[in-house]
Amino acid sequence: MNELFIIIKKELTELLRDKKTIINSIVLPTLLVPILIFGMIKVTEMINKSEQEKSIEIGLVNAPEDFTQLVQSDTLNKITTYEESIDFKTLISDETIQTAIVFPRDWKRQMDSLESANVQIFRNGTKDNVNGRVSKMLDAYAAGIKQKRMSQLQISSEKLTPFVQSYQEVSEQKELIGKRVGGFIPYLFILTMWGGCLLASIDLVTGEKERKTIETTLSLPVSKFKVLLGKTLVASILGFIPALLNLVGLIIGLKFIDGIPDMFKTAINQMLNFESITMIMLLLIPFAIFLAGLIIALVAGATSFKEAQSKASPIIMLIIIPLVLAMMPGIEFTWYTVFIPVLNIGLGVKEIMAGTIDLGLYAAMLISLIVIAVGAIYFSYKKFSDESAILS
Amino acid sequence: MIQIDNLTKSFTSKTGKGFKKETVTVNAVNEVSFECKPGRIFSLLGPNGAGKTTTLRMIAGIINPTSGTAIVDGVDISQGNDEVKKRIGFLTGSTGLYERLNPDETLDFFGKLYKLPTSEYIERKEYLFEKLGVNEFRKKRVGQMSTGMKQKVSIARTLIHDPEVLIFDEPTSGLDVITADSIIDLIRESKDNNKTVIFSSHIMSEVDLLCDDLAIINKGSIIFNDSFENFKREMKADNLTQEFINRVKEA
Repeated sequence: MNELFIIIKKELTELLRDKKTIINSIVLPTLLVPILIFGMIKVTEMINKSEQEKSIEIGLVNAPEDFTQLVQSDTLNKITTYEESIDFKTLISDETIQTAIVFPRDWKRQMDSLESANVQIFRNGTKDNVNGRVSKMLDAYAAGIKQKRMSQLQISSEKLTPFVQSYQEVSEQKELIGKRVGGFIPYLFILTMWGGCLLASIDLVTGEKERKTIETTLSLPVSKFKVLLGKTLVASILGFIPALLNLVGLIIGLKFIDGIPDMFKTAINQMLNFESITMIMLLLIPFAIFLAGLIIALVAGATSFKEAQSKASPIIMLIIIPLVLAMMPGIEFTWYTVFIPVLNIGLGVKEIMAGTIDLGLYAAMLISLIVIAVGAIYFSYKKFSDESAILS
Repeated sequence: MIQIDNLTKSFTSKTGKGFKKETVTVNAVNEVSFECKPGRIFSLLGPNGAGKTTTLRMIAGIINPTSGTAIVDGVDISQGNDEVKKRIGFLTGSTGLYERLNPDETLDFFGKLYKLPTSEYIERKEYLFEKLGVNEFRKKRVGQMSTGMKQKVSIARTLIHDPEVLIFDEPTSGLDVITADSIIDLIRESKDNNKTVIFSSHIMSEVDLLCDDLAIINKGSIIFNDSFENFKREMKADNLTQEFINRVKEA
């Protein structure tokens, strides 16, 4: 056991003296989430502000006086009146105007005779800001006409509203938000964990080959299994630390960054309590060992950093696909999904965050992760013991 | 003492494309036998790819032989590599140093894994650092050192546990004459201390200076194995280098 600690200490010392490791495993994971939260809030604010201040060029044809006045009441709207319908597609494409509203010639007659008129709106579907503002104006105008007609026909609004839908939320805010954003959290953890494990594993195996120290290590009076186990544990620590720092970053970000809705902030704070964090971290320990073992097995025969990266990188797909599946509606954390690696973490974390985790399923998931971690160590030991691969 | 009997190492590789694969087995070392005695320096010479490194790796317990036996300081390598490794100091061109550690940390790491009592390995470390002139850069990271500095630290880590058997594969390669001389001096000292030394080099003047017994390996097989005195007596060429070339070509 003492030999294992000596190896772990030496490997950790070496890795933590590498700037690349410090940046990728400590600095970036800690800052990633606060930067993401801060960036998203600021960018959304900026976009909203600039959209609200943007003026819109609107083309009008046969527009009634009251509608023109409604459009003009917003000083950011600029109106160009056209006598008849022309090639609005070209005008919108070359940005002479952003949208055009064409009323029928006999608009007044249709309105007087309480008919339903057809108003054509030329628009570019990708311009959400323009389309949203125009729709809002048209809806307000239509509501005004509707109200007038109801008064004219002496119909009360209740008569046209057969029932009102009144929702009573029975789930806690924590459960609601947990199920919705909980799927996103494992993304952060697992992807940064993957990055940490990948870099450390390659450095500890292929890096040793490149630096010609693998033979030095193998000449030591320590079994290959202990050497391998030491490397696997160090790689998994270097994978686990970024995941932990991600969480720290998330907590710091939520605490100190302004602009996050209070309701959301409170719910996330409730979710990230000691119990849920411990449960998530317990899952991530065997998963980090599994990832480290798997990557070491894959890169054992590689002779350069580049070759090792190309051998290990495709595995990322086996991580992303289950994580995407975990976020899809209809896929639940059940006895069928609890044994599928990565998917089970994605679904399990969601349940933990929402506070609805079944402890039986949680225990089964934890055991299954420990089993695959042991399997990965065995697999990597087999590869690490392959003399021609490891001394190539 | 090292006793090698019919040591063989085969490597199997798969060749071919697609589904059509062929398995090829090559004997890198083929039934090699020799004996290295304590208090004598045994030179193992051979051209590149002759099987020298594979033989030394098997003796050092880094790779397992396919067949044959090797007894190192009374321990059969098949009985447990770790016991053999404790008795060997192994230095070759591919046993580099950990670049992010300094010489002090490097020797502490080795000392602890060789399970030496703390006072013993510290005393030994100080002796080797003094002897090899490592003290002035003992806190400098290996990655920032010159080739000569690194080799001095490598020699120190090879000798930290005062092994009974020493394997030096081109220990002076790329070094200046002063550094090389201090290393030659240490190898001589090991011989005087009754250690078993295997020394391999392409520098024939060093072989001439140190060698007591000699084996030449070519294409995985031993083509000469006798005392260095007898080798010189049987020499037909004018110098050692030419004699070595002729013997390899004739084999």
